[in-house]
Amino acid sequence: MVPKISVKNLNMAYDKYMVMRNLSFDVQQGEIFLIIGQSGCGKSTLLKYLLGLRRVNHQKIFYDGRDINSVINVPSFYGEKIGVLYQGGALWSSMTLAENVALPLETYTPLGREEIEEIVTLKLSLVGLKGFENFYPSQISGGMQKRAGLARAIALDPEILFFDEPSAGLDSVSAKRLDDLILELKESLGITVVIVTHDLASIFAIGTRAIYLDVESKTITAMGTPHELLMSSNDKNVIAFLSRGTKIAQG
Amino acid sequence: MTGIAELKLENENIAIISIAGTWNIYENHPHAEEFIDTILSKPSLQKVDLKFVDLKSWDCVLINFLIHILNACESKNLTVNIDNIPTGIRRLIELSKSSPVRNISSTSRKKPTILEFIGSVGLLIFLSLRTFLDFMEKLWVGIISFIGGKVKIRSQEFAVVLQEVGVKALPIVFLISFLVGLIIAFVSILQLSQFGANIYVANLVGISMMREMGCIMTGIIMSGRTGAAFAATIGTMVVNDEVDALQTAGFSTINFLVLPRVIALTLMMPLLYIFSAFIGIFGGLCAAMFTTDLTVVRYCTQTANAVHLNDFFVGIIKSCFFGFLVAATGCQKGLQCKRSAEDVGLTTTTAVVTSIVAIIIMDAIFAIVFSLFGI
Repeated sequence: MVPKISVKNLNMAYDKYMVMRNLSFDVQQGEIFLIIGQSGCGKSTLLKYLLGLRRVNHQKIFYDGRDINSVINVPSFYGEKIGVLYQGGALWSSMTLAENVALPLETYTPLGREEIEEIVTLKLSLVGLKGFENFYPSQISGGMQKRAGLARAIALDPEILFFDEPSAGLDSVSAKRLDDLILELKESLGITVVIVTHDLASIFAIGTRAIYLDVESKTITAMGTPHELLMSSNDKNVIAFLSRGTKIAQG
Repeated sequence: MTGIAELKLENENIAIISIAGTWNIYENHPHAEEFIDTILSKPSLQKVDLKFVDLKSWDCVLINFLIHILNACESKNLTVNIDNIPTGIRRLIELSKSSPVRNISSTSRKKPTILEFIGSVGLLIFLSLRTFLDFMEKLWVGIISFIGGKVKIRSQEFAVVLQEVGVKALPIVFLISFLVGLIIAFVSILQLSQFGANIYVANLVGISMMREMGCIMTGIIMSGRTGAAFAATIGTMVVNDEVDALQTAGFSTINFLVLPRVIALTLMMPLLYIFSAFIGIFGGLCAAMFTTDLTVVRYCTQTANAVHLNDFFVGIIKSCFFGFLVAATGCQKGLQCKRSAEDVGLTTTTAVVTSIVAIIIMDAIFAIVFSLFGI
């Protein structure tokens, strides 16, 4: 079976500074794939490469077996194939929440105004923001902005959802709700989810598989389910990173 | 009692550093360099003993002092007796040493030679030019697609931008243009009154406002006001990932962010120029009325005789170009913004400076071209 996303020998660099080298991994259809590691190891940079926001050589990143450089120029790729939730929500500040969610629908679908409004209400209600349609991003809290960002990301029911630190800045209850929502989306829509995170509670709660980006060796030092990484990894950094999480979970 | 440290040589092999008193960042305290110099100047020294006698209180300055001493001793392979270091101090020193050092290349931080400096400046200019041309290419493709009906801009957003760059700019354009007209008239009257040629103040104010000052002043006002706002807005969007979100939602940043702003300002600038030119002439009239015996009718008749239609068209053409330049520069600098609040400020400043310089250069080019064609 062709992986949903495949990365082969990817090197990531900022100017002359090598961030990560020789990254290779596959993301399978329908799994919640985690990219974990210490702060500053290059998780968000890897996400930018996966999203095509940073230029990458040919034959390094593949979507459904097709090179990313050939698919990012197809207009429907971003709209229909992928949805992204950024750290702060990244809502377009000059638009209301409804307009934020409606814009991809207006652009990529032939739906009428009325139907778009209904879908916008549906998406906002999925993330618990029904009734906030006419609010501007500056009028709602950070956690709500994040949820509205998720509503926009799932506006077109994309095949793959990317999350950049979804629980950053959220209280534990809101973070748990977001985790539940991600699980629900994965279960009900069969969406493939890629999450960049260092939130240990989320890692163990929702992760199907994970890769650990090691800041010292600048490559992937562990890959598997979160529990496999914790139980069978020989890497002291991986164990140190994940063991605090089990203490939290047990405590 | 301030921090005290004394170095005594017990014999030629052993040195004792005694530390006492209150060590904090607000009080005077000894510096490690003097002690390190003494330690390094004794080749026979083999061991350094640290003693803490009557140490009242301490903070990071003592930790810093000890780390320097320990590093110097380590570099000279001297044995250091650290048994007497109080537990809290020792733990902090160990903690600071346990922090991993990232292997980041330091080549970019060394002071460049003159050749490297010239090369890097040249490279920077080349890359800036390439980025600008790349941006212009995309912008013109967007404009042509818009004219051809292939690209649509959001009418609601476009109307807001039109209002921002047009109607809302009128008060500042009024104030500056009125004062510029007034100043030109006052200066002219001072000179012309010596020859009894006060009537020609209308010519000077009329031609200068219609041909040069109207469009230049509007351009400069719009650089500081609208160009800066474009750069800051788009720069903040970059910082907040909004631009990335646009791209990953499949929208062209040029079509979505740049095109409405460039079209709006290019359309509004000629209107603002006309407003500015007439207000400047009105300012000149006010000055003439207060300081000379010219009447409103004489002043207006003289202005109408002096200013020709081609002066007006020159102003219109120049203001269109200036509007395009200001908007394009503001948007381009905004999109180049990096990821911090400081960069937004820097981006805004750069946008304003660049567009003002560009306006002056463009005006000089226009002056040469128009004089060659006798316009």
